[in-house]
Amino acid sequence: MPKRFVTTKVEIEGREETKVVELPSRDPAPWTESAELTVVGQRVPRMDALEKVTGDARYTADIQLPGMLHAAIVRAGAPSGRVTTLDLSTALAMPGVRGAVTMDDLPDVKLDGVRLFDLAVHYAAQPVAAVCADSLDVAERAARAVRVVVEPAPHVSTASEALADGAPLVHPTGNAPRRSPRTFSRGDVDAALRDADVVVTREYRTPVALHTALEPHGAAAEWSGGRVTVWESTQGIFNTRADLASAFELPLSSVRVIKNYMGGGFGAKNGASHATYVAVALARKTGRPVRCILDREGEQSDAGNRPATHQRVTLAAKRDGTLTAIRFDGTITLGVGGWLEGPGNIYRELYRCPNVTTTETFAYVNTAPMASFRAPGSVEGAVGLECTMDILARELGIDPLELRRRNYAERDQDKDRPYSDKRLDACYDQGAERFGWKRARARRNEPGARLRRGVGMASIVWGAGGGPPAYATVRINRDGTIEVLTGAQDLGTGARTVMAQIAAEALGARINDVRTVLGDTERLPFASNSWGSITTASVGPAVRVAAEEARDSLFEAAAPMLDSEPDDLESRDSEIHSKNNDRCLLFRDVCEKLGDVMIIGQGSRGPNPQKTAISAFGAQFAEVDVDVETGRVRVLRIVSAHDSGRIINPTLAESQLEGGIIQGLGYALFEERALDQHLGLQLNPTMHDYKVPTIGDVPEIDAFFVEGADVTANHTGAKGLAEPPIIGTAPAIANAVADALGAEVRELPLAPWRVLSAARAARPSA
Amino acid sequence: MRLIVNGATHDVAAPDHETLLITLRERLQLTGAKLVCGRGECGACTVLLDETAVYACLTLTAACDGRRVTTIEGLAGGDALDRVQAAFVEHDALQCGFCTPGQILAAAALLRTTPHPTADDVRRGMSGNLCRCGAYPKIVRAVLAAADNAGGDANA
Repeated sequence: MPKRFVTTKVEIEGREETKVVELPSRDPAPWTESAELTVVGQRVPRMDALEKVTGDARYTADIQLPGMLHAAIVRAGAPSGRVTTLDLSTALAMPGVRGAVTMDDLPDVKLDGVRLFDLAVHYAAQPVAAVCADSLDVAERAARAVRVVVEPAPHVSTASEALADGAPLVHPTGNAPRRSPRTFSRGDVDAALRDADVVVTREYRTPVALHTALEPHGAAAEWSGGRVTVWESTQGIFNTRADLASAFELPLSSVRVIKNYMGGGFGAKNGASHATYVAVALARKTGRPVRCILDREGEQSDAGNRPATHQRVTLAAKRDGTLTAIRFDGTITLGVGGWLEGPGNIYRELYRCPNVTTTETFAYVNTAPMASFRAPGSVEGAVGLECTMDILARELGIDPLELRRRNYAERDQDKDRPYSDKRLDACYDQGAERFGWKRARARRNEPGARLRRGVGMASIVWGAGGGPPAYATVRINRDGTIEVLTGAQDLGTGARTVMAQIAAEALGARINDVRTVLGDTERLPFASNSWGSITTASVGPAVRVAAEEARDSLFEAAAPMLDSEPDDLESRDSEIHSKNNDRCLLFRDVCEKLGDVMIIGQGSRGPNPQKTAISAFGAQFAEVDVDVETGRVRVLRIVSAHDSGRIINPTLAESQLEGGIIQGLGYALFEERALDQHLGLQLNPTMHDYKVPTIGDVPEIDAFFVEGADVTANHTGAKGLAEPPIIGTAPAIANAVADALGAEVRELPLAPWRVLSAARAARPSA
Repeated sequence: MRLIVNGATHDVAAPDHETLLITLRERLQLTGAKLVCGRGECGACTVLLDETAVYACLTLTAACDGRRVTTIEGLAGGDALDRVQAAFVEHDALQCGFCTPGQILAAAALLRTTPHPTADDVRRGMSGNLCRCGAYPKIVRAVLAAADNAGGDANA
């Protein structure tokens, strides 16, 4: 039967695109909240854990090919100007050095607004050349032997410098993107401000944060017969393939991208990177396989970051706490390039408010480009919104949680549409209960105590519906084992396990009989990047359709063997059972009889419900101790309640919640790229100087999901969950610190000196 | 020079400045230990030198002549899984898995010197191993569980 197609809207991280989408071959009834599921919802152990604990898991950085060379990248070292000398002669003369690439050897491609290895320098870590050698050691020494002279030009490091009159230009077109500033409005904010009982205005600064994935960006490339195979540490194999095919002018079928395991992405690995282009170009030039893995300094200084923001927030309310106006003015410092993420989104969506204006002003500066970083925009925006909500609560004498409840948004006001499902109220109830919010709020610090205890909370919303296109194939082997094939990626999220559980449920198979194969553009049907918390909700329904199709074919084949009609059959634990005559057969028995006739099911992801917002929600509660003499903050407890629809695997989902909370804790307390603004150089491109949380920083965490299944969202009932937990963490901690000190927090991270100055501002006598 | 890696003897001709990490990964094809920071900041390269956990990125191969090296590939010896590995699987003490070999070897070394650790002992003993996915709460649980399992055996 020919496929049918429709035009539909798909939303990822707040961006809406119109797409043509295939209608799936079937539209199964949703797994409702009361559906009796036996595999979905179970705590199935992570299916690739064995490979990961034994060292068998081969990451891109571990790929070794016969005759493989190692590449190292040379960087400009100055934030602006022009490379006047690029002398590779010493490097190329070193024993073991096999080749080099400069701008002339690379495709004419722009990455974040900068041509690959441009001699016009836009930021200090900008790559200008790469060398390759028999060993990594020689390659790194050769890279250091390349002589780079930059004729310096004035640079800008901050948004205010960049947007000032007469500022040095980062790009010939200027220091502001074409669509900046970007303003969204509803209602009449000015009138609401005039009529309000209470108005508060505050300003905040959030830092540049670095992804710091343990496996750096990197690729290994090998050419053969005019085609190239690339092993890449990526969240998007098909995006990477498209980038490479376009850059090297190859048909898509001549580029194969493989990602089996990856050591973290967090948003920064969404397509071909410098390392990819270098590996592919050097492999072509030398005729040998080449591996290019960024060193740690390269990863920390030129592999994406969460951009700094300056936020000015005004909230207006009636005496009873009803919000009447929200105004947000944000400046986002992108670096040399990136995309226009939306810290204003959460201001427009989280609370019910008829009058809202958000203005986002973006600036290019001479630093490395930003990249998506776990809940881009909303992590930053939540800091300003949620800290100001607490200040408003204090002004009004209303409990912070109660103020949020009084402004509960029943629908998505930003796009004026209903939610498919929303259980934020349950998150508030259960989170507050498990945290002991009332009791904790009632406690008072001893006057003059050195350690001050405080509590704070924050709400969370994040678009998490996923959507088309995504495809899956399910095939049953002659021994009854089952393979789920889909071109998605498992970043460590558990996608391999989750897809196997969905297939096992739909097939009535034992989970141990199912294996998921991911991450190979040549062998697997399309699935999109694993970003925006979309994989489970996007790919899961395609897997279910494919598995149901395979199950139906299996029943057709089994029916005569069981003297039954296909409709009389049901399956469970890899056993087909006839309701007619109580006879049964194992999948294996049926498939053995079929021989090499292979049962194959194919599935695709259908359109999302239109004019409906699909979001995940949550509420985060934090308790801290603040040492008012040292300024040190110790987070004692985090309680985190989430509505992400049906949870396919609670253990893996809780692992992701904990991980998001811990990254948010780092953002709140330690993480900050340090830049010498005068020199335009990063001061902390190491893991010693850029502090991520250690095991010793981790508080007691109680992270859980409220029950539910979002049957409007898709027929598995699942929504995304990877990004929400990081959104509420920093504001909940900041609010707890403010509560402990009786002070306000204006800037992250809450390093001791910032905490001390906040404490002094609160107690002028001290 | 001669290294005894996971019980097998290897004659290695590595330059004086080569680190144990590079020798293991590039010469012996033992890629379980990871190169992440290259300067002793993250612990992803942790291996056992004799009975002690070391950062392989800060250990010169030349200093290991005649010594026993245990990597994640050899930790279980003849068994399918060592007790720490089994506990990491059972408690889901990993996500992307890149830091996991180092975490497990750090835990194995900790349990050799401190067979009955408290949660604080685990946090202190494991504080040199970073995990960006944030599997820490479950790592603590896994290490305590591994210790309990061993404790049962030792007292039997």
